[in-house]
Amino acid sequence: MKNVAFGQYYPADSPLHRMDPRAKVILAILYIVCTFLCKNAISFACLVLSALVLVVLSHLPLRLILRSMRPILFIIVFTSVINIFMTKGEHLLTPADWRIKIYAEGLWNALFMVLRISALILGTGIFLTYTTTPIALTDALERLLSPLKKIKIPVHDFAMMMTIALRFIPTLTEETEKIMNAQRARGASFSTGSLINRAKALIPILIPLFVSAFNRAFDLASAMECRCYHGDEGRTRLKVLHYRASDLVAVLLMLSFGVGVFFLNRLGIGPHLS
Amino acid sequence: MDKIRLENVSYVYNRGLPFEQVALDNVSLSIRAGCVTGIIGHTGSGKSTMMQLLNGLAEPTSGRVFLDGYDINAKAEDLYEEWSALPEYAHLSKGARKKAIRREVARRRAELCFRVGLVMQYPEYQLFEETVEKDIAFGPRNMKLSEEEIGLRVREAARFAGLDEELLQKSPFDLSGGQKRRVALAGVIAMRPEVLVLDEPAAGLDPAGRTRILDGILRYQRTTGSTVLIVSHSMEDMARYCDDVVVMGDARVLMQGERREIFSHTQELTDAGLDIPQITHLVRLLRERGVPLPENIYTVEDAVLAVQALFAE
Repeated sequence: MKNVAFGQYYPADSPLHRMDPRAKVILAILYIVCTFLCKNAISFACLVLSALVLVVLSHLPLRLILRSMRPILFIIVFTSVINIFMTKGEHLLTPADWRIKIYAEGLWNALFMVLRISALILGTGIFLTYTTTPIALTDALERLLSPLKKIKIPVHDFAMMMTIALRFIPTLTEETEKIMNAQRARGASFSTGSLINRAKALIPILIPLFVSAFNRAFDLASAMECRCYHGDEGRTRLKVLHYRASDLVAVLLMLSFGVGVFFLNRLGIGPHLS
Repeated sequence: MDKIRLENVSYVYNRGLPFEQVALDNVSLSIRAGCVTGIIGHTGSGKSTMMQLLNGLAEPTSGRVFLDGYDINAKAEDLYEEWSALPEYAHLSKGARKKAIRREVARRRAELCFRVGLVMQYPEYQLFEETVEKDIAFGPRNMKLSEEEIGLRVREAARFAGLDEELLQKSPFDLSGGQKRRVALAGVIAMRPEVLVLDEPAAGLDPAGRTRILDGILRYQRTTGSTVLIVSHSMEDMARYCDDVVVMGDARVLMQGERREIFSHTQELTDAGLDIPQITHLVRLLRERGVPLPENIYTVEDAVLAVQALFAE
């Protein structure tokens, strides 16, 4: 379980790491929109290019990025198969008398969908999880959503809950691993037997895990109250976020990328998403 | 005879990542059968990692771990050559022999966690059953023993761990910290392991709790003649309970040998960030001032006897 790479902060000193987390949240949203704007080969080529630029800017090792793609491998394969076989078009590639018909449009669609999903995962991963600490991320979300406080939505409380949840993911993972090892040392096996037996085998892990999670929650609540935590009102911050010129430039660049993609779609050349 | 032998064992966490960490660096050591061996070292010296290598929970990055001379991580393919000559396998055809060897290796592997019982740090967090009795029975039940045998072992283990009969029907969550710890110990003892490995068994307990759990362990060891390994950083406990001592530091073995030998290396122990037992230190100071006390005193009881003997003269 120590090898889970998806959604883990990777410490490095890169332009993306130094960026204001709020800007990164905005950039991530814009990037997602851009991936959905792409409609033809040229705009998708630009998308690939932008993804490469992001990888270079983030100073992340390529291996880590490839590994983050592994969990979505199934989705990628699944959508491409569906797209290849189910899309109807004009350019038939297989002989006309075959029962299975593959069209050129289907192949292009499959490629585009793969690129879109990969860019989606890559973009959010690079902007949000790999270069931004979870704490900075929730902080950014709280600040970005703070206008909602006007309509009585407890943004701060949600953000605090998020922060605590994120903070305890590694702790609970470690704990799960410890408990699993302890039960394994008593001869428990989690990977053999029927489905029902396997579900039963989880009980010796889940019960101790819940007990300790509740105990932790009580302790944490007491600790927070001891430090006079009473919610949002009048709370100051250790790290105050400041936008810098580079953040603005980055957002503007992303906006122009979106506009560029929008106009590239209008060019009627090359294959396009059908 | 060596019960356990480690040969050039290394273990690396997060290999290839920037947070790569060497937990064990080319460690070789042997553990005598039927003895209590203490493993000391301060936090991060690789003690706890080593524990998990002994019952196959983790596999060393490199090097080999032997239990009774058998490499516990051996692959069937590697043993094929060597075992083919054995009478059990020699008469079989090639295919059947391969299969038989593979089955035997898998059997030994599955048996390993029952032969080497591991009590982890703060084991009270692993309790989950409705009653103490059921929780202690978890290990024996996984061994597929008969109900009768399970009942027998649960009572025996509870006795070793110093748990009263009436506790058996209680919920483990209603017990005190020290009692929970002893229930967890009983849960491992109930498997009757030949080797009992304990990671900081007395950590965080009050003095009475410490004595009770350590005495329970010793009672088991004396009665069954099993091999016991205790990881700890309490010199006092080590001095009282262990025959042999292994000193670890910076992912390596710094010293290993009999208790007397190890505690005479005061300087090296201090360099490793460890202390000799306070009473040993006191006796040493007294000797330096000309009090004719014997050198090898590690427990307060021994010191009392020695001082009494001195006054009797």
